[in-house]
Amino acid sequence: MAEPLQGTVIDKDATPASEKADAVSVAPPESPGSVWTRRIIILAFWAVVATLGLPHWIWTTSIYRAELPAEQMTRWSEGHACDLKYPIHVALETGSLPLDQLKAIAEKTENTLNLDNGQSLFSFQISALDDHHNATHERALTASMQQQSTSKAPSANLLSMTPTLELTHGPMDSIGTDNLVAFLVNELQQIFKDEQASITYLLRHSPFHAASKGFNLGTEATKAIEKRTTRAFKYSSTYHVTFSLFAASASPSAWDIEEALRQYIKPLLRQLSTVSDFQIDTQVQLFASFSPSIAGPQYDEATNSYKLLQSDLSGFINAAEWPLSPSIGSGPTLNMVLYIPGPGQTPLLLETGGNSWTIPQWGGVQILNPSEKQAGRLTTSDLEPVMLTFADQLISLLGVPNSPPSLAMRIASLKRERATSLILSASSTLGALNRLTRKLESIAIPPSVATSVDETISHLEQACSNLREGRYQLAFENARTAEAEAEKAFFEPSMVGQVYFPDEHKVAVYVPLLGPMAVPMIMSALKELKSFRQAKVKTS
Amino acid sequence: MKLRDLLQLSSVLALFTLSHASSIPNQEYSEHLYLKPLANDHLHADFNFTATTPVADYDAQHFRYFPRSLAQILQYTHTTELHLRFALGRWDEEQWGSRPRNGRREGGTGVELWAWIEGQSEEADERWSDLVNSLSGLFCASLNFVDSTKTIRPVLSFEPEGTHPSGSGGSQLLHGMLPHEVVCTENLTPFLKMLPCKGKAGISSLLDGHKLFDASWQSMAVDVRPVCPSTNSRKDECVLEIQQTVSMALSIPRSMRDRHNPIPRPPPIEEIECDDSKVWNGHDTCYPKPSTGDLGWSLAKVFGRPIKGACPLGDADGAGDISLDVPLERTVEAQGSASSETEPSGLRKFSLQAATDFDVVLPRQDTVSSSSSTHPPLYASRQMTGYGQERGGMHATLRNPHPYPQKIVYLESLPWYLKPYMHTLEIQHGNIEKMFYTPALDRVRGTHLELVIEIPADSTVELNYDFEKAILRYTEYPPDANRGFDVAPAVIRVLPRNVSDPADGNNQDEYLRTTSLLLPLPTPDFSMPYNVIILTSTVIALGFGSIFNMLIRKFVLLEEVPASPLKTKVTMLKEKIAALLGKTSKKGSDTKPSEEPGPAAVIDPNAALNGSTDGSALTNGSAKLRNVKG
Repeated sequence: MAEPLQGTVIDKDATPASEKADAVSVAPPESPGSVWTRRIIILAFWAVVATLGLPHWIWTTSIYRAELPAEQMTRWSEGHACDLKYPIHVALETGSLPLDQLKAIAEKTENTLNLDNGQSLFSFQISALDDHHNATHERALTASMQQQSTSKAPSANLLSMTPTLELTHGPMDSIGTDNLVAFLVNELQQIFKDEQASITYLLRHSPFHAASKGFNLGTEATKAIEKRTTRAFKYSSTYHVTFSLFAASASPSAWDIEEALRQYIKPLLRQLSTVSDFQIDTQVQLFASFSPSIAGPQYDEATNSYKLLQSDLSGFINAAEWPLSPSIGSGPTLNMVLYIPGPGQTPLLLETGGNSWTIPQWGGVQILNPSEKQAGRLTTSDLEPVMLTFADQLISLLGVPNSPPSLAMRIASLKRERATSLILSASSTLGALNRLTRKLESIAIPPSVATSVDETISHLEQACSNLREGRYQLAFENARTAEAEAEKAFFEPSMVGQVYFPDEHKVAVYVPLLGPMAVPMIMSALKELKSFRQAKVKTS
Repeated sequence: MKLRDLLQLSSVLALFTLSHASSIPNQEYSEHLYLKPLANDHLHADFNFTATTPVADYDAQHFRYFPRSLAQILQYTHTTELHLRFALGRWDEEQWGSRPRNGRREGGTGVELWAWIEGQSEEADERWSDLVNSLSGLFCASLNFVDSTKTIRPVLSFEPEGTHPSGSGGSQLLHGMLPHEVVCTENLTPFLKMLPCKGKAGISSLLDGHKLFDASWQSMAVDVRPVCPSTNSRKDECVLEIQQTVSMALSIPRSMRDRHNPIPRPPPIEEIECDDSKVWNGHDTCYPKPSTGDLGWSLAKVFGRPIKGACPLGDADGAGDISLDVPLERTVEAQGSASSETEPSGLRKFSLQAATDFDVVLPRQDTVSSSSSTHPPLYASRQMTGYGQERGGMHATLRNPHPYPQKIVYLESLPWYLKPYMHTLEIQHGNIEKMFYTPALDRVRGTHLELVIEIPADSTVELNYDFEKAILRYTEYPPDANRGFDVAPAVIRVLPRNVSDPADGNNQDEYLRTTSLLLPLPTPDFSMPYNVIILTSTVIALGFGSIFNMLIRKFVLLEEVPASPLKTKVTMLKEKIAALLGKTSKKGSDTKPSEEPGPAAVIDPNAALNGSTDGSALTNGSAKLRNVKG
């Protein structure tokens, strides 16, 4: 049985509710003054929190985020900022034809070439070379026409060391301008076809693909380009090239590498020095054993030789024991390895034939079976075939295109390709940086990043305009700077090394510290708000 | 094929004014092993590998015997001379005599590194930092922890071993020590990789991490120095020399233990020679005789394997790849040696043969060989004194056993958290001739103290100073903070005496190092930050909460206190349950069905009238209850 209630409780500003309130003592009603004093006190506390505490908290916990040109970055990453076009300047020169006729041929050729694919990446600008031609743009090719009295059909020959097409044709009256133009058009298209294909391939899956719509890339060509690009190193302004002689036994322990390099490798690298710098080092390593993970050479009785299985080629390099560490300094290292099998394993051949192979994006390997007289020291003449193979491997590892046959033009073509891929890479880095800074609100953005981004954008713009003007060396250099700046911005150490300050930590620090203060303040504020509202309702 | 043609063409076209510089055949490689039995059944083995390269080849980065990985680091950091030491254990000077190679190829416990680097002070500092970081990667050691606080620039303690061109005064000497580093197999592997024969042939085939790091004392050293015919010779006459040294003192019984059963156990009873003179000797009791004479050992047994033939790169005619320093009367059997030679002093020299295993066997011999250990130049020890977490003292004892006075350079590289009071520095029985002192800066650099002390003949010099222990920041403590902090050994250079005694042959300066020390620092309780947070919160809760409540509360008499809504609710619930219980009990006793408890509707008007607050609703609720009961 419940006891009757001793006293009923009455709210402080409510009137007595029932007649049974006889036993209840009620506190005297508060004077409005004291009510207001309390309200002011609470308000004062909140004011301190809002005017001092909150700004102080924000000020001490905020991080510096530099302003980034987000809109421009997006434009670049989405490919709207630059419309990639590759004007190709070809100059016609001749000793025999009058200038008027030459100009006519040039104009006709240009019209025909640009008519065929009006919206393509490459636009040809053919000019007749006279004495006072303007040298503002780079000449991609000089067609030197020579008239011969006897020859009927025109023929062309591309020089290897200079971008010159030697064209011989019969007398103008017999061959006719149209035929000559048709021949020239065909030649030029052939020369630039592969490059156009590879640039189209580069742009195909990038935001800049709009520019490459005009060119149809066949599956065969795609495969060839894919093969070439996966083999090549990523572009770098400096490459280290290490030539290593690995001998399975104690000999040969010497090679005339300095002379061999001077004769066979340095001329090539001098040509490539407009694209990258090369630093060469060489080493001799003895007692090089195979890595335990490969099956090793198998004796083949039929040929009385040792065969290296195809499956062993990828694991041939004994990374654990062979000192092939990358060189110090920036830039990747291309490893050129010459392996001399031990006396018990000669001749060592590959199962598939040949004696050399390339390891994509790492280097090239060659096996040399020494003769008796080569046992102690490899001379320059011994090294000649080795060095020529190394040169071939070097070219393919650096991503130099396989055609046209002129080395000078291949390097020019490489420059255009590299400029394009650098622009693409810098743009996508900008996009990534933009997304990163938007997604991670708590990441700090130091002012150096903003400067780098500005640099990147200005260099990208310059590269783009240089490209459209046909100044490929400048475009390439600007793109290189832009890419380096973009990488610098993205990998800014103070941004990458974000302090690990997890949310749990914040809870663990803030709750015990602020909880005891916040709870009474919030409760009192709510209560007072409630009573204030009630009082208002009552008076109204 | 086309490319080949092109290349040849271009190479022909290219003009070269430079004539083909024929590679000078001063690329040499030699190796040597020195063995000497020590007192107390120990064996001293000293491996030395020397390779040279012409400076021209070095500059053009053509490497043959010189390791490419190290050379590139030296070039990148403009280091002209490098000395790197990995050491473990202690050389027992009292028993074994003077230190091998006069202590010039050993370092303090852990890792020690000093190098001459080109450049002005700031530039040199940067290159030094690059150097230690690169070497750290190359040797798998924590050398990257040699930062500015552990780097000093000694003035008197070290002198370049190589010939530096007289014009280049821009080289700076920097020195760093890591006493805490534990030297182990991962440091030996890169060391062996730098050798031309890679531990697969030659004396380096003996080097095995299991034995090397099991030694009582071992020291690995890498020394790179330029060697020129004279100081003013042209640069292309010079060669760069790299010396790799491994020196160790092995306990012979310990290293001859069965590898598969390494736990020491007493040998079977049949193999023990019992001492019959003891009265308790019986068929089941054996008192082993103390071993006398020289222990039998062989290279294959001590090192676990024989030498796998010669490393066929060195000069083949140079007999003496291996020298064994034993008395003349000691029996020595060599297997697989190309030539051997015995000197009157008893020193045996052997040369190796390619592709033939070589071993030296010294059978057990009862004649006690007179171990003629020479006195070291100096005995040095250093201890920490004092107690408590605030202060301490350093006490170094330097004893000169020779009948002539000696001059030494005493170098201390102290961490910044050990702050010496220089006014307390005092020396007894000797005198300080010169002093170089660089005071420490907190978290920037450590103390560098160099003293030139003259030690009188046959006397002991004591060096004392007090220091204060700093309190580190919370994050500066290592995970094992209570272990203490290692203080690098003091390096003592005994200067060559002016009066050179031809009998002594003691013209070169010698080095010795004290042991490293453990400095206990005041260590905080690492849960402290959280305790601080909790304590602060409690104080704030108490202080702020009570003051705030006092300010905003209204004070009423106890009986005037309005009941809290929660309390009334709980009471209501209680009463409901009580009512329910009461009803069921009533039902059980009185079978007569009672009237419907209609008054549920009775109270509603009241509640609707002024049920605006909880309090009044409660009043109504109790009224209702009473009504029900009534």
